[in-house]
Amino acid sequence: MPLAKNKHMITATSLTKSYGETTVLNIEQLEIPKGQCFGLVGNNGAGKTTFFSILLDLIKTSTGEIISNDIAVAQSEEWKTFTSAFIDDSFLIGYLTPEEYFYFVGELRGIDKAAVDLFLETYVDFFNDEILNQKKYLRDFSKGNQKKVGLIATFIGNPKVVILDEPFANLDPTTQIRLKQLIKAETEKRELTLLISSHDLNHVTDVCNRIVLLERGAVIMDKETTAKTLQELEDYFSA
Amino acid sequence: MPTSLFQLSRKKFLRAPQLEAKLAIKILMGFVILYFGGSLLFLGIVVYPILSDQFPERDPISIINSVLVLIFIFELIIRYFLQQLPITEIKSFLLLSIPKKRIIRNVLFRSLLSVYNAIPVLLYLPISISMLKDDYALDQVIFWWVAVTAFSLCLNFISFLANKNNLALAGFVVLLILLYLGESYLDIEILRAVGYFFDALITQPLWVLVPLGIFVLLYQITFNFLKNNLNLEGSLAAKKEVANAGRYDFLDVFGSHALFLKNDLRLIIRNVRPRNIVLMSFLFLFYGLFFFTQDNQPEAMLVFASIFISGGFLLTYGSYVPAWDSEYYAFLMSQNLSYKKYLDSKWRLMTFAIVVSTVLSLPYLYFGIKIYLLILSGAAFNVGLGTWITLYGGLLNKQPLKLNVKAKAFENTQAFSGKLFLMIIPKMVLPVLLYIIPASFFNETAGYLTLAASGVLGIVFKNQILAQMVKLFAKEKHEMLNAFSQK
Repeated sequence: MPLAKNKHMITATSLTKSYGETTVLNIEQLEIPKGQCFGLVGNNGAGKTTFFSILLDLIKTSTGEIISNDIAVAQSEEWKTFTSAFIDDSFLIGYLTPEEYFYFVGELRGIDKAAVDLFLETYVDFFNDEILNQKKYLRDFSKGNQKKVGLIATFIGNPKVVILDEPFANLDPTTQIRLKQLIKAETEKRELTLLISSHDLNHVTDVCNRIVLLERGAVIMDKETTAKTLQELEDYFSA
Repeated sequence: MPTSLFQLSRKKFLRAPQLEAKLAIKILMGFVILYFGGSLLFLGIVVYPILSDQFPERDPISIINSVLVLIFIFELIIRYFLQQLPITEIKSFLLLSIPKKRIIRNVLFRSLLSVYNAIPVLLYLPISISMLKDDYALDQVIFWWVAVTAFSLCLNFISFLANKNNLALAGFVVLLILLYLGESYLDIEILRAVGYFFDALITQPLWVLVPLGIFVLLYQITFNFLKNNLNLEGSLAAKKEVANAGRYDFLDVFGSHALFLKNDLRLIIRNVRPRNIVLMSFLFLFYGLFFFTQDNQPEAMLVFASIFISGGFLLTYGSYVPAWDSEYYAFLMSQNLSYKKYLDSKWRLMTFAIVVSTVLSLPYLYFGIKIYLLILSGAAFNVGLGTWITLYGGLLNKQPLKLNVKAKAFENTQAFSGKLFLMIIPKMVLPVLLYIIPASFFNETAGYLTLAASGVLGIVFKNQILAQMVKLFAKEKHEMLNAFSQK
């Protein structure tokens, strides 16, 4: 077994993304250690989703690269074996029922039906009886319930890296609180590197042990979460 | 103030992703249109003199009148499959303070500017001029032209209304068959009545009011249809289907390919558009009836027909692989899926469809063993090469598709657009050459063998071809993601 070359799960080096003249992302150096819960905040257009999309090799970088677990994501497809993500509803297959979707994801990650069923049992509370056995296709669920499915599906097969774009948006208050508990439980259970972007400063400072603030594609602030972090962020955004 | 709706559609074109590709296709389409337009114009110019030359005892215009109904039917079929009403953009305007009537009028007016409406000018105007030279009175000629033009423009709306209703096409086909049977066996002259009508029109110009009336009526019906459906849209959207939790486990016999096959099957069964397209592919089975029933068909036509018979699914569903998965393409690309398995299961799905079509086409044995051999070798070509050409075309066709469009009236049907027609060409011309060349040098058997052998070669080298497709697929990944995210 090769020894891990460093303790960082994800390393971004001189990363830029521009469309014509406009630079939407410009990150000199960013390292995310293994097992960290990493929170990304910033106003619209700050580059949060762009960063995640590059990390998932959904868009190409203009310069620089992202290394995930010693794999350059733009060079090899190997990162897919330990990474999962939920970015938006294009990550759902509308004509499947939630169960079929979970089984499909499970099969892609080498988890059989029985194991998926077992896995789903642990999230019964989170689903709140609104997801399983509904005889409905995903496209007919409400935005919030669709999101529940997408979020839970990312945890199938114990991926080492999970990327969630705006996980709290569209969820009802109960589910938001449950999601926070779920995230805390998952990160305590095993070494999971979790990347979250959010507009909800309260939630994101609550669950993440590090917050990075992006503005116009650049890192403005990068801090370990403390009791003061929320106040600092609020000050920044109200200024 | 909203600027002109026309300007918006111009911008939509100019600012579309992959403008160059679209432009290239537009230019190619331009040549195709020029060709067909030129042929029509030529036909319009020569038909009258030729008829008066060949049948000196009959009035040429009366002969033309008697076949007008066939021209109209043919025109309607062409329009049904190729013409699209520019209605896609309606939705975005609904909440703006533009009167609904104005939006609809704009759509309908633009539909009248479609190239298909050049037919009356290209075909009928030269005929009218010939009539003038032949000593018909000016008013007679004008009324005749106005009447045929009005009928032709009626088809504009009929094809639109029929396009929005799956039953309409079936109904139309049944009606035609009944009319034909009535005409040939029961001596009911409904089809011929159209000819008599135009004859009468030349003696009594007032008859022109009939086609004009029908035109106004159809305009009104289409107008009301659009207007009512604009209102209904909201309530229609609330409808929800009960999930059909059908078991697809029987597909597990395909082992590791079952995963994608299951999804493809669900995709076809549970979504409006693929369902319709697959149903349509069954119609291709009957394609041979047009050709095999006639004597002295050129062999090229027979090859065409046999490729169509087994390849209906390829030409319809296959052309949109992987666009069918465009709605969740980002998801697929971030999952640990093997491109090879993904493409291979698409190949298997298409192959399965070709085999089924070939079995279903057994009744063609009635036309002789030669015809069926041709169908069989065509099927071999389709499996071995047609599938890959289709997949290649599909990879280049970066148009996102909406799978489950509830109100069909507000989406481009996309089913048979001219663009796809262009992609069909290599699929059709290649097999014809593969058959015709050896068949003309040696004999028919050499033709069958070459055509079938090309397919067998494709199957033998499947893994190599697949590996190339996987490379192309990976290479096009980002561009496809970008195109598919444009809604």
